Amino acid sequence: MSAKPWRDVIAVDDLERNWVTRVQLGDRLIAIYDTPSGIHASLALCNHGGADLCDGYFDGHVIECPLHQGAFDVRDGRPVAAPATRPMRIFETRVQDGMVQLRI
Amino acid sequence: MPLTQALAEGKLTREELKTFMQRSDGPALRRLALWIMVLAGTTTLITLAWDSWLIWPAMFLHGIVLVHHFSIQHECVHYTVFRTRWLNDLVGQICGIIIMLPHRFFRYEHCDHHTYTQLTGKDPEQVPMPRSYGEYLLYLSALPYWKAKFTEVARHAAGRLSETERRFIPREEYATVIRDARVMLAIYALIFAAMALSGWWGLIWYWIIPVFLGEPVMRFIRMTEHVGRPSVAQMSENTRTNLVSAPWRFLCWNMNYHAEHHYVASVPFHALPRLHEKLRDHIHVEPRGYLGAHLDILRQIREART
Ligand code: FES
Repeated sequence: MSAKPWRDVIAVDDLERNWVTRVQLGDRLIAIYDTPSGIHASLALCNHGGADLCDGYFDGHVIECPLHQGAFDVRDGRPVAAPATRPMRIFETRVQDGMVQLRI
Repeated sequence: MPLTQALAEGKLTREELKTFMQRSDGPALRRLALWIMVLAGTTTLITLAWDSWLIWPAMFLHGIVLVHHFSIQHECVHYTVFRTRWLNDLVGQICGIIIMLPHRFFRYEHCDHHTYTQLTGKDPEQVPMPRSYGEYLLYLSALPYWKAKFTEVARHAAGRLSETERRFIPREEYATVIRDARVMLAIYALIFAAMALSGWWGLIWYWIIPVFLGEPVMRFIRMTEHVGRPSVAQMSENTRTNLVSAPWRFLCWNMNYHAEHHYVASVPFHALPRLHEKLRDHIHVEPRGYLGAHLDILRQIREART
């Protein structure tokens, strides 16, 4: 069992539709993705060169980094385009009472 | 990152950015159709001029179009030509074969060009500022370029990567880069074998000589992007946007809007003119186009010598 608690991060109504929204959580930047299969979340900074994925291009389930166009599948964090080669860190998400919650 | 900076400084709103970044397959497919028609036209010119000296200007013209496959490939590197991701990979690879530039290797190299734009010693694509007219002309001849490219492909095919390359290629991808170089050389060998077997050597006249004749034009254009601009990290300083006429914009897939491209590399070619309208006051623009950029470069050579 994961001991990590669920934490409210943003109201569902405040999310950018079919796009990525940036959220600051403590000292961490989190990217929240509104996708056809629901809401997903990951660390916002790209694990290739540290660019902010929230300024990138988002299409379906793929977030593309604005600096080098490396890309990740937001459902499992898998890299889908070079120069991204390592999976990005994703978080478990759910919606409760109109709030997006992350286990973090 | 310049984009994050531009957003923070209000040069661009998030909504505008989102609109500019939207991808689709339509504009590129239409442009490619026109592209193929232009290629068919210049190919026909070579055929018509076959038995006369006019074949040389015809090959030069055709070569100018051929070397601009670099522009498509470059756009594919950024995945901005087509919304359908694999189409960018496919078209990029094909363009790479036409101009002998393995696609994935170029992609990794180009990443560092975007990270360290115009920073001497760090930008792997930096074209050095010529110190003399001789150096200037030598660069434009494309001889140093071809020497570097042939050495590079041969080195990769032999399984070796340089220190710098090891820095910008992810370790997991070393083998891919080496395999790509081998595949490219194998494709060329096959093409030559097919020509030898069939006795039809036409591709030398329709492809190989034109590419070599045309490459100086590509060098001329590539110089206008950064050469003569300061070696600093500010995107508004280190890159030049050149205002050029419609046929050149068609050929280079709007990459004359180079500073805009560096600001937001995720914006597709067809949205760059609109992005230019937003950013024009925040970047370095050369209104006289490619020629103006070269006048600027030549002036700097002259001034450095006196
Ligand atoms: S910083 Fe994200 S792909 Fe390089």
